[in-house]
This record gives sequence, structure tokens and C-alpha cells, in this order.
Amino acid sequence: MGLFDKLAGWLGLKKKEVNVLCLGLDNSGKTTIINQLKPSNAQAQDIVPTIGFSIEKFKTSSLSFTVFDMSGQGRYRNLWEHYYKEGQAIIFVIDSSDKLRMVVAKEELDTLLNHPDVKHRRIPILFFANKMDLRDALSSVKVSQLLCLENIKDKPWHICASNAVQGEGLQEGVDWLQDQIRTMRT
Amino acid sequence: MSSVPMEMKDSAVSSSKWLDAHYDPVANLYTFSSCITLADLHGDGENKLVVGDLGTGAGNMKLKVYRGTGLLSENTLLDLPTGLVSFLMDQHEPRTPAIAVASGPFIYIYKNLRPYFKFTLPNLEVNPLEQDVWNQARGDMIDPLTLKEMLEGIRDKADIPLSVRSLRFLMLEPQEMESYVNLHKQQPIRRQTVITCIGTLKKNMADDDAVSCLVIGTESQDIYILDPEAFTILSKMSLPSVPTLMDVTGQFDVEFRIIVACRNGNIYVLRRDSQKPKYCIELSSHPVGLVRMGKNVVVGCAEETMQSFTQKGKKLWTTYLPAPVTTMALLDLPTRGFQAILVALANCEVHVYRDKNIVSTIKTQDVVTSICFGRYGREDGTLIMTTKGGGLIVKILKRTAVFDDKDSISGPPIAQSIRLNVPKKTKLYVDQTMRERENAVAMHRAFQMDLSRLRLAAARAYVKALESSLTPMSTSLTEPLKMNAVVQGLGPSFKLTLNIQNTAACRPVMNLAISFLYDENLYSMRTAFFKIPLLVPGLNYPIDTFVECLSDKGISDIIKVFVLREGKSTPLLTAHINMPVSEGLALN
Repeated sequence: MGLFDKLAGWLGLKKKEVNVLCLGLDNSGKTTIINQLKPSNAQAQDIVPTIGFSIEKFKTSSLSFTVFDMSGQGRYRNLWEHYYKEGQAIIFVIDSSDKLRMVVAKEELDTLLNHPDVKHRRIPILFFANKMDLRDALSSVKVSQLLCLENIKDKPWHICASNAVQGEGLQEGVDWLQDQIRTMRT
Repeated sequence: MSSVPMEMKDSAVSSSKWLDAHYDPVANLYTFSSCITLADLHGDGENKLVVGDLGTGAGNMKLKVYRGTGLLSENTLLDLPTGLVSFLMDQHEPRTPAIAVASGPFIYIYKNLRPYFKFTLPNLEVNPLEQDVWNQARGDMIDPLTLKEMLEGIRDKADIPLSVRSLRFLMLEPQEMESYVNLHKQQPIRRQTVITCIGTLKKNMADDDAVSCLVIGTESQDIYILDPEAFTILSKMSLPSVPTLMDVTGQFDVEFRIIVACRNGNIYVLRRDSQKPKYCIELSSHPVGLVRMGKNVVVGCAEETMQSFTQKGKKLWTTYLPAPVTTMALLDLPTRGFQAILVALANCEVHVYRDKNIVSTIKTQDVVTSICFGRYGREDGTLIMTTKGGGLIVKILKRTAVFDDKDSISGPPIAQSIRLNVPKKTKLYVDQTMRERENAVAMHRAFQMDLSRLRLAAARAYVKALESSLTPMSTSLTEPLKMNAVVQGLGPSFKLTLNIQNTAACRPVMNLAISFLYDENLYSMRTAFFKIPLLVPGLNYPIDTFVECLSDKGISDIIKVFVLREGKSTPLLTAHINMPVSEGLALN
């Protein structure tokens, strides 16, 4: 069976599985992003605040993603750290129109980066500066400044502005993540 | 290697419990804690900040609403706001709260940020004499100067004070009086009071989204409770003084308590079905902040103290503060079950107190004049402050922040407040106490007698010792000597070292000898008598000799040492050496 799997892998028939954590504050659009990335026939119509977490799956050209869509509400954020070990990549979603809570997002990001399960691993982090369509939204450059992303030196990271409701900017981010994961494996 | 300074920086940051979310030093917000509130005005789950801005000078009073870091809307207010509350006035969906702004004798109600209703306080009774005088003026029976004289007479004597119109008239110059009288004489006289404080009281349910009544305190020393829909007066209560700060709990239809701090420096507690205050707390100085924490009341006083009382007026504690209090608020985190008191001080600090312990200190850029804690936007633990210079500060409590009672900086050590586990009084103890109480005189006498006997016995023994020079210290003036003895060895042979010292200031001692007295069946000594050389004052002379133990029965005895003076039979010094049991003999 192992041999068959390997053979399928060489031939590119079977896609590699990766576990991805989707983190970010409440109301930043994590579930909406994951929902947009799923095939259109599997998409949900109504997005409600996530309780605890939910596991979603979607596929790209070469990878099969298993996403842990964590709840961003304050009382569930202490669950995040229990899944850091399993995660091979992180998607961090920021509501770029919520200037007030940018410090909270930064605080949660710093806690994440200093966690022993994450600190010394070279896992790629993809940032979505979501809700770019809103009038008072900050640019992705401004968001990366406010979150001090330039201080992340030991991990590959990428930020892209997105509008999860319309699906804009998501593909760019996922393509980057896919490249990163493939280079990491080889 | 480079991670070390990074970690140090992290620990410095993590020691703070607050995140600086927003600071606008020129927000142009001039307000007090009574005119600031957080409410979900649009029913979208995002709380807005509603501020009654007092403006600068006479104008610019505004009702401002903030969303996040930006101003959402502005409504002009006609008069200075004295209080602002948000409350649900009906059961209609969506459940959006109304805003009540108290200013002067009116309450302006806003729904959806649009003026909705204006409530006017009932008029007060007008002095009939004043009414008479103005009636005469209306009929042109008296000229303005006579009117002035008569009004002055009424002002000085009457129980009911004059109306605002008459008081303003008395301030006028003579040439302005005529036109003033002509302008106003046709209108009836009214006397109005103004609102000093406002609060809300749930009508008949304790839920967070239950309909609330408005509770208002007035300059006429009354408290009114208004119906939320019809704005009729449901209840009226009177106070001995003018209320300034107010806290309301309970439900109108069930049971409620209104705690009011008054301008006479007292705090009154009103309850349902009582027209007069039920309890009164007299403070040593004027209250500047009032917060209720559970069942206790915490008051910030003008003399830089904070005091806590139960609702029945029993004082619990007092804390001394480093600077005068500017305002106070409650820090309530129901999700974490944590409550504390926020105290803003005039030295640009905000202290967080849990009971009387400081658990956190926040330094601000300016003196804080208003403070508000609650859910803002989507964040539960948000602290909003406005400053004297018109700035707006927003801080967010960290999710990981832990308030520890132990990290209080000042105050007595914790050990002081731990109660000792004192056992109950036993029957024996009680009986003993009873006996001591009944026979006190006899016991005292017996004790005194025994004490005298003890002293006599001690004195006798001392005299005897002195007479026979049995002490190791010589007190004679000619030969002041000191001696101690050391026994070394396990046996059967011991080394005996005598240390002899002349304690005189400058005189040497001569012609001394040492003699030993011992049981000759037990011990043998090589020399039982020898002479001592001249003793120079201050020096220590060790003299060694060897003692052989003859017994193998494991018994020991005393060896007596005498220091003698030639030609005298009584010794100068005596030392008794307790010899140790010989242990070495058993080995042989």
C-alpha cells in the first residue's frame, strides 16, 4: 500500500495533505475566506460566528488542504495553542477596517510567534488584510506596519489584501502558500 | 544570541496588562464620567461610544458618537449636559437603546440618533406674594422701582425662593428695568428646578436587555423615577440635600436601592416604598466618586481617600491615595468574574483597586476627567478615558492579563490579614480564670512570700560563696583574678587546662599557688600542687596538667581547683570541674 501511495505521489495522481491553521480575531472573516476557497457546490450561504473550531477541506492544483478554522472570539482564543503542533502552515486574518483592535491582533500574533510550538519552526504564515473593500480600510502595507511584520525574520510570510465576500485576493495568497509548502517539502 | 534582548523586551511588554489601542490628544472631547456611556445603538453587536460633550466656554455642546477610532455622528445640544444614559424604552424589535441626555430642567431622548422626545420636570410652587407683585406690575399699578423694592423684601423673608425671572430682574440696572418688565409681565411666572444626576433602573426584569426606567436627581432635593414609555412620574422621593452622584440597582416593580451622594457630604440609601432615605452615611469630606461593588459602596473623597461602606452604612476600610481623585468607575468583567474599581487621580494616573489593594496602575499623558469601562466595538474589556485637555484614550485589557492581589505595591503585608486559628476556650481555662479572679489577693500574697524566700535563699548562697571564695572570679581588690578550666580527651587520661587571667588594670600578682582536691580512689594526678608565676595584667596564662582516671566502672566525679595565696588558708578562687566519664578505659 505504501508503495502504491508513493507511486501515485510520483505520478502526481495523489495530492499531498497539509494541515493549515486559520487564525485571527472574531469578525475578521476567517470562515468566509475558507468558505470561498471551497468548491462552489460546497459553499455555505450563511456565515455565522464559529464556536470552538471547525475543520474544512479544499484542494488546489497540487495540494489537499485541511483547515482548522478556529473561532476568534476572546473566550475561545486559548484553544488556538493546542493546534499549533499539527499545523504545517498558518493563515492569519486581519480585519483591516478595525483600527482599534489592530493592537489586539498584534498581541495575539506575538503570542503565537513566541509559542514554543511555533517559535523554532520555519512554518509559512499567510496574512490576509481582509475587508479591503470597506471605505475606512487600511492598506496591506499599513497593516503590516502596524503588526510589525518586518520583525518576523525566521519564517516565510506574505500579506495580501483581500475581500473575502467577493473572493478577491484569496487565490494570490493560496498560490503563495502552496509554493511555500512545496519548497518546504522538497 | 540576538534573542536575549528580544525576550527582555517581551517581558517588559507583557508585564503591562493593557494594550494601547488609540490615543488622540486633540479629540476635542470635554466631558465627565456622568456624560459618557457605551451602547449598541444600531443593534449590530458593535458598541458605540456616546459622549455628551460640554464643549469649551458657552457653546459647542454636542452629542457625539464614536465608532472604533472615528467619529460617527454629532448632534448639537442646546444646553450643557449634566448626565447621559442609554436605556431600552420598549420591547420593539430591533432592540436598540435610546439615549437620554439631561440638561437644565429637560431630558432629551434620542432614538437612532434623532431627537425623539423631550421631558420637562414639573414646575415648582411659586411664591404667592411674588405672583401678586407681578400681577400688579402687569396692571401697571406699580413702577419698576417699587417692583424691585417689593421683590427684594420677598427675597429676604419668604420661605419659597423667587423665580429666575425675578432674580434676573433684581440684577438689572435701573434703565433696563422698564423694557424687561414690559417684555415679561404678560407671561405667567414659572419656577423650575434643574437635573443634577441621572441613572437607570430596570422596570420588572433583571435581564441585560430589559426595559429600564429613568431615575433623576434634581436641585430641588428630589428623586424622580420616570416610566420608560409614557414618561410619567412613577415615584417621587425627597432627600435632605441636593444629590450629585447616584447609583441604582434592582427592579422598580420588585425591590430597588438608590444610593445617592449629596452635596452636604452625606450618602443616602433609598429603597422601594420609602419616601425618605433608609440609611445615611456621613462622610468626613465631600464625595467625588461613587461606585457600587456588589453590595458595598466605594466612595472617593475630596481629602484623597477612598472609603468603602456596606449598604447599611457600616465602614469597611479606608485607603489613602497619593493625589486627589478626579473620577471613578467600575471595572466589571462578568466573563471572568472580576470586578475592580478604577480611580483616576490628579497626578495623571489611573489606579485599579481590588478592595483596598492596587492591582494595576496606568499612567496617562494628561489628567483623566472621565472614565468608562465596558464593551466597545467587539472588545469586552475596553477602558475609555477622556482628559482635561480634550484627549481620548482607549486601552484594551489583554486577554492573558491576570490581576493578582499579591502584586499590590503598598498596603499592609498579607500575613496581617490572615486570621489565626485560635482554639476555643476550654473548661479548664475558664475554671482557672474564675479561680484566679476569686482568689486574687491570696494568690498574690503567696507569690510574694515565695518570691521573698527565694531572694533570701539566693542572697544566703551568694554570701556563703563569697565568704569561702567558691567562685571562679576573685573579687578581692588586691588579687582580681579570673579562671576557667577546660577538660580535653576521652580518657582514661585527660588533659586539664586552666586559664588564669589577672584582671587588674596595672598591678601584677605574685606568690600564688594552685591546689587540686579530688577523690584519690578515682583519679590520680601527676602534680596536685604547683606554683604560678607572676601574672601580668591582661594576659592569659594556660596551665596544663594531666589527670588519670583509675576506675573502669564508668563513673565520674568533681575535681575542685583552688587558687591560693601563700600564707593564707582560704582560697582566692574555687572552681568545680565536672569530669567526663572515661570512655577510653573500656577499650583497654
